[in-house]
Amino acid sequence: MVLLESDPFLNELHKMYDRNKSGTVWVTMKRTNMKPRKSKKPNPKAEYVCLIRANDGKRHISTTVSATQYAKFSQSMVIIMKGAMADTLKKKEKKKDKQ
Amino acid sequence: MYIEDFEAFYQQSVELYKARPLETRYSIKFRHSEGKLVLKVTDDRTCLKYKTDQQADLRKLERITSIFFPLMACGELPAEGAAGVEAGQQQQQQQAGGTQAAGASSKKARRRG
Repeated sequence: MVLLESDPFLNELHKMYDRNKSGTVWVTMKRTNMKPRKSKKPNPKAEYVCLIRANDGKRHISTTVSATQYAKFSQSMVIIMKGAMADTLKKKEKKKDKQ
Repeated sequence: MYIEDFEAFYQQSVELYKARPLETRYSIKFRHSEGKLVLKVTDDRTCLKYKTDQQADLRKLERITSIFFPLMACGELPAEGAAGVEAGQQQQQQQAGGTQAAGASSKKARRRG
């Protein structure tokens, strides 16, 4: 698992969608403090961030986004996803019979 | 469990996240070869899924992704998160308006010059 900065992550995500024209891409998001689960004393002051992972079955990439950065990142990520998916998804069928 | 209705999926998944914010994950699976998009929200007890192959549903993807980002990055309630997003957009619009006005005034200045 490669932990990237947010901009390189978006680049890699874009490439990943490009590479997998016949495959599958998973993107997963969760809230975490990035600490190992086994630590016995939970630290209430630990900073929580949003961890985003992407995976195409071969390569895994990930990044974290904090409360101050998410707005810009979220917009860019949605644009990349829409760009990658728009051509493959079906267009709405127009109704032929106008009544 | 697949949910047909997006509104129901949206509301249930936000509730699921609010109940267990640290255990819930949101995942977007896109299968290029079949042109199939599956959204999944799970806390390992309940699993909610929404499936589509329609281009128009990308708006729904955008909507639910943009609510989960503030939820997961700030850990705040959606009302505050959504308000934050809206406020941010308004600021951006104002900034854009300001730059346009500035551009217009500079054009006028040029004409005068």
